[in-house]
Amino acid sequence: MYLYGHLIYFISKDLENPIKKIISDFFLNFQKMYVPIKLNRMRNLLFVFLILYVCSPIYLIAQETFPINDVQDTRTKAYAFTNATIFTSYNTKLEGATLLIRDGKVENVGTSIRVPAGYATVDLGGKYIYPSFIDMYTNYGVAEPKRQGGGGGAEQIQSKTKGAYNGNEAIKSEVNASEKFVVNSRAAKAWRDMGFGTVLSYHKDGLARGTSALVTLGNGTENEVMLHHKVANHFSFNKGTSRQNYPSSLMGYIALLRQTYLDADWYTKNKDRSFTDLSLEAWLANQSLPQIFEANSWHNVLRADKLGSEFGVQYIMRSGGDSYKRVDAIKNSGAALIVPLNYPAAYDVDDPIDAYKVSYANMKHWELAPTNLAHLEKNGITFALTVDGLNRKSDFLKNLRTAISHGLSEETALKALTETPANLLKMSDVLGKLDKGMVANFVITSGNIFESDATIYENWIQGQKYQINDMDAMDLSGKYILAVNGENYDLEISGKPGRQKAKIVLNDTTDISVKMSLSDDMLTLNFKPNPKDKKSGMVSLTGWLAGENINGRGQLGNGQWTDFVATFSEKKEDKSDRMSRKGGDSKPEVGDILYPFSAYGNKTLPEQEKILVKNATVWTMEDDTKILENTDVLLENGKIARIGKNLRARDARVIDGTGKHLTPGIIDEHSHVAAAGINDRAANSSMVRIGDVINSEHQGIYRALSGGVTAIQILHGSANPIGGQSALIKLRWGQTPEKLKIENADGYIKFALGENVKRTSNPSSIRFPQTRMGVEQVFVDAFQSARDYEKKWQTYNALSASEKENATPPRKDLAMETMLEILNKERFISCHSYVQSEINMLMKVAEQFDFRVNTFTHILEGYKVADKMREHGVGASTFSDWWSYKWEVRYAIPYNSAIMMREGVVTAINSDSGELMRRLNQEAAKGVKYGDLDPFEALKMATINPAKLLHLDDQTGSIKVGKDADVVLWSDNPLSIYARAEKTIVDGTVYFDMDKDQQMKKEIEQDRARLIAKMRSAKAGGSRTRPASASYYHEWECDHVHVYQGH
Amino acid sequence: MKKINIVFCLLTFFMATGLMAQTRIVPAPAQDKPILLRGATVHVGNGQVFQNGIVAFDKGKITAVGGANTSVPNQSSYEVIDVSGKHIYPGLITLGSSLGLVEVGNVRATRDQVETGEYNPNIRSIIAYNTDSELIPTFRHNGILLAQSTPAGGTIAGTSSVVQLDAWNWEDAAYHVDDAIHMSWPTKEFGPRWWLGETNNRPNPNYGNTVQGIENLFSEAKTYNQIGGKDAVNLKLEAMQGLFDGSKGLFINSSDARSMISAVKMARNSGVKRIVINGGYEALLIKDFLKNEGIPVILNGIHSVPRRDHEDTVLPFKMAKELYDAGIEVLISGGGGYSARNLPFQAGTAVAYGLPYEEAIKAITSGPAKALGIEDRVGTLERGKDAMIIVSKGDLLDMRTSQVEHAFISGRKIQVDARQQWLYKKYSEKYGHDINNK
Repeated sequence: MYLYGHLIYFISKDLENPIKKIISDFFLNFQKMYVPIKLNRMRNLLFVFLILYVCSPIYLIAQETFPINDVQDTRTKAYAFTNATIFTSYNTKLEGATLLIRDGKVENVGTSIRVPAGYATVDLGGKYIYPSFIDMYTNYGVAEPKRQGGGGGAEQIQSKTKGAYNGNEAIKSEVNASEKFVVNSRAAKAWRDMGFGTVLSYHKDGLARGTSALVTLGNGTENEVMLHHKVANHFSFNKGTSRQNYPSSLMGYIALLRQTYLDADWYTKNKDRSFTDLSLEAWLANQSLPQIFEANSWHNVLRADKLGSEFGVQYIMRSGGDSYKRVDAIKNSGAALIVPLNYPAAYDVDDPIDAYKVSYANMKHWELAPTNLAHLEKNGITFALTVDGLNRKSDFLKNLRTAISHGLSEETALKALTETPANLLKMSDVLGKLDKGMVANFVITSGNIFESDATIYENWIQGQKYQINDMDAMDLSGKYILAVNGENYDLEISGKPGRQKAKIVLNDTTDISVKMSLSDDMLTLNFKPNPKDKKSGMVSLTGWLAGENINGRGQLGNGQWTDFVATFSEKKEDKSDRMSRKGGDSKPEVGDILYPFSAYGNKTLPEQEKILVKNATVWTMEDDTKILENTDVLLENGKIARIGKNLRARDARVIDGTGKHLTPGIIDEHSHVAAAGINDRAANSSMVRIGDVINSEHQGIYRALSGGVTAIQILHGSANPIGGQSALIKLRWGQTPEKLKIENADGYIKFALGENVKRTSNPSSIRFPQTRMGVEQVFVDAFQSARDYEKKWQTYNALSASEKENATPPRKDLAMETMLEILNKERFISCHSYVQSEINMLMKVAEQFDFRVNTFTHILEGYKVADKMREHGVGASTFSDWWSYKWEVRYAIPYNSAIMMREGVVTAINSDSGELMRRLNQEAAKGVKYGDLDPFEALKMATINPAKLLHLDDQTGSIKVGKDADVVLWSDNPLSIYARAEKTIVDGTVYFDMDKDQQMKKEIEQDRARLIAKMRSAKAGGSRTRPASASYYHEWECDHVHVYQGH
Repeated sequence: MKKINIVFCLLTFFMATGLMAQTRIVPAPAQDKPILLRGATVHVGNGQVFQNGIVAFDKGKITAVGGANTSVPNQSSYEVIDVSGKHIYPGLITLGSSLGLVEVGNVRATRDQVETGEYNPNIRSIIAYNTDSELIPTFRHNGILLAQSTPAGGTIAGTSSVVQLDAWNWEDAAYHVDDAIHMSWPTKEFGPRWWLGETNNRPNPNYGNTVQGIENLFSEAKTYNQIGGKDAVNLKLEAMQGLFDGSKGLFINSSDARSMISAVKMARNSGVKRIVINGGYEALLIKDFLKNEGIPVILNGIHSVPRRDHEDTVLPFKMAKELYDAGIEVLISGGGGYSARNLPFQAGTAVAYGLPYEEAIKAITSGPAKALGIEDRVGTLERGKDAMIIVSKGDLLDMRTSQVEHAFISGRKIQVDARQQWLYKKYSEKYGHDINNK
């Protein structure tokens, strides 16, 4: 069959691809049709036999359609493997069992099976048989298209995909990996050598990547190895080769996928079919397949899961190796995972200054990554394993064994490589076990494959043998006395059969290396008897086994021929085996998981407390109570319960506020911390949502708490006139992204004006708009289109049920939906703005469409139009004293906030910076310095006023009974440069405490010392290391744009 | 209330016409009569403080400083200004400033700070210094009277000069010409390209070559004057000669611990006399080295976030104190851009996190003067020094009270208000806000 396969392969090379496809499609559909029949009739022995004989030589059927340039040469191949320990499934182990295979299928397996006549029998003498592993996340045989390098330049607004495909180049659902698949015997071997027999292969390009094919790792033709050509439908957060302008951010990817789900739905309802979209056709057709999402990190698993939930889709997630960091949330997602074993290498921390640069979170991940699978198992999460993500694929088994030594059970490990992927791919009828009728994919090993000294001998794929290590290799290990031409040498041969090495021992410290090679039962030895003498020649010997000894003939350095004998003297003990077994027995001790997984994360989440602050100066930020001296405040159940003098409260934790100041938590109207990217690039990006990409692990949250901040608006950036939707969060350090969000907060959206939206920094930009004149038209157009859009829906919704049957509904457009929310006063604008003309303009546009702008943010020339702003009813969120960094802030003055305050504009001070947000109290105090504001009025700009701008003033922003217990205890007057936040409390929970902070700092130092010692000993023990280099979290600012690539 | 305001506003409008007239900046003429400031807390700038003290100056020089009873020769000839309850400080000095070289950061036409090329010791900031930069008055407004106008970029960026911030032209502004050469020691690693999604540093493949280039440059500069019969004048090496006789300092921009050691050793071995580290983020890791070598460190990023996740949450705030405790001379700079006007508050933050108050004052007055090689002329309020003096309504380092009411450059009483203040008045008048009585 093998030769035959080759013949067919060459013939098929000449066929046109479409023909090949028809052939393989026909054949594979044929095969799939049989599968259910086979299962249903399983109990009927007759049927089983019938099926085995009719259908099992399917790989031969495939060939029948091909021309033959010879006589018929079909051969039946039948093997029996006896006396084996067989795992017929991950949890069924048969001792002394027999496996029969015939024509690529399992014919029978069991402990009391008679070997039929004519079967080639292999006595395995107790060796192990496992079902070959399945890797359900590969691009084996499917070339990965490369993204063209280089950035900047003119934007590409339209898709460049040729044909009747989707308008967005990153939607490639029409792609079928099966059509691109070619056998790659070299790559296949790498997988086979690790025990894999079958892989799922997808095309790595785009957010929607189309379907994958299930192929074996045999060296047959594409037609033979492809078990099924459409197995799963693939997605990712990496736009791949597309250079189209939108989307470029993670939130943009989510928005585009969301819109495409809606578009696909609309496409089916499109009665007149005014156009054809082959991508949507495929998208729809592939919905019934398993849906696989490449998420690559726990954060992205949750993000993808949230997206899937909106459309009733449960993705199987290609996760990262980091799910242990938030295993509860991963479990709650209900997603099955495909998990890589990509443990980071230890840092080379021999140098203490280098070691200092290394991130603590990265160090901890190094230690904890091998525990990931144990955590998943413990939590009952279904997972498969993949080689994907490993820098060296050959580390796979070693890393899996490390996971086992860190608590993963062998049973679950085997399941994750066999039955789970087969189940997830709906292929458990043919793969994942060694039951009758299944594909004969199995490996033969020396013993338990999860032990480090196990050797994989053979990997059988579709009934074809692929040898990895010679099962019958000679074991020559031992000590010999080698007599050559009157000289005696101490020859030592060591290592496992098939991988043996030789050396000559001169004395305790000196060896002569010997090049040894074995083939069949002949052996060749080459060595230099006197290595220091460069002129001395090489002794070359060729020999054969004579009992325990080796006899042979050879040639000396001078060319003289001679006989030789190596006389066996004693068996040599293999030390390396004993060592490795010893190491694998005990579960290593590891440090704590932190929530969030970041330096200064919590070992356990802080809890809400009943707190009584005594005798403080209380800045209530309410106009009727203003500043209360020597006052007590009781916080209970997350709310401000009482304010007064000499308060008592049972069981409350009392905090002495004598000489200290208590204020409401600082609120930052304009922040970009805690988000995975903040800019997309469509001129109207209103469909993207910061709320989709909150990063709860960003240390910026904690650092903001250290400056008294309790709530922020995470705004989209300012790269576009209409930016994305904001997220309003409280700084509940340690909670998962969804739990940071402020419940029932109003929706907000970022708008922007001026230099950034004109793409001033990119001289070759062609994106509309390029002037402030164009910016206005973007708004007018968007709002007018939204009104027209609304009308279309109103018309459609007014139709009777029967009329609707025959009508095409309008397309649901998420950008238009957002614009409508603004028009209907359900979503509010915070607009990045600088100069007076554009401020005035946006107010006029809003008035034209009968709504009001909520906030002008930055607004450095607000002082020039403060009266108009007051009349319009818009608030301001500004920098205290920024100016001169760009042309449009040339006339910015630090008196801006004071003028707007005096003019009656609700004014806040914002940060736009993870640094400045820690000092917003002092930035507000600059209103005292520059505009002579009353201190109480000045502090309003960092507390109640931003609360008003965010419509949160009914729940936070002042100290008033019934409001949220979001307060800060300061060491000094909060407007003073000398004030330090001692405690920052959110919802009655202390999330920052200056003393605890210093305690944590010490603990981190100790834990780092422990980890550094551990890394040094790992290096000394031979582990690979990587240079100790610093890593950074990028601190986003308004105009930062980058293309997210799915990391 | 509103009506009263309007009437009031009309009144102030007429009164303000006089103010309106002064919408121009005119450099002040030379001091023509002696002045005596009396009744303030005097921060001398060397750690000394006089409560209810006096400062007297004549012909641009300080003539007396001390407590209330300090005798001033010819006291009767002095114009006395009562500054009771206020604070007097030496004029602040900001180091490593782009002042006069960059007007608007993102407009190329207004940038004159970064010359092309790797080694530019011969590039001099003074000749490009724009005395009409609109940033200058905003610095003066907060008490900064001297700035080191500094080139940037490349390995050797060029030569800075110290300018006084009230001048007609650059010759007039030049307070100390060609004070120092600025060198950026290369880093072994480049930062990640965040826009490509990178989070880790990349090694700098040219580190060794760049260091070799610097070493060659310095050794050739050192021997330049000793070689007879030269074929040509080398402007670059000529410009470096001052390093070896102490007339020019070497300011080393570096934040990396090992780079600081390499750079200081190279400079010492080459015979550079005056060495200053600018940046010094990792100085705490090598504090003994810096202390033993006697190298002052300029902190130019007190208001920044920690660079490593494991560091103290407020490390940059605390760094001045910790370096001071380690016996290292700490200087504080407002950094390169427009926001250096916040220099007093950077010092204030250092005080909030443990640096003694008068040490913080030293770090922005006498410390920088010493680093610039002009400590004999300026930096403290001592008799015989140039009268660079500011008077603040309250504590200069706290924005609640920091109001510079008088400023003197070499005894000349300079304007502290400029366009930003005039715009404030202009629009307050437009809206009828009462700001003049405040």
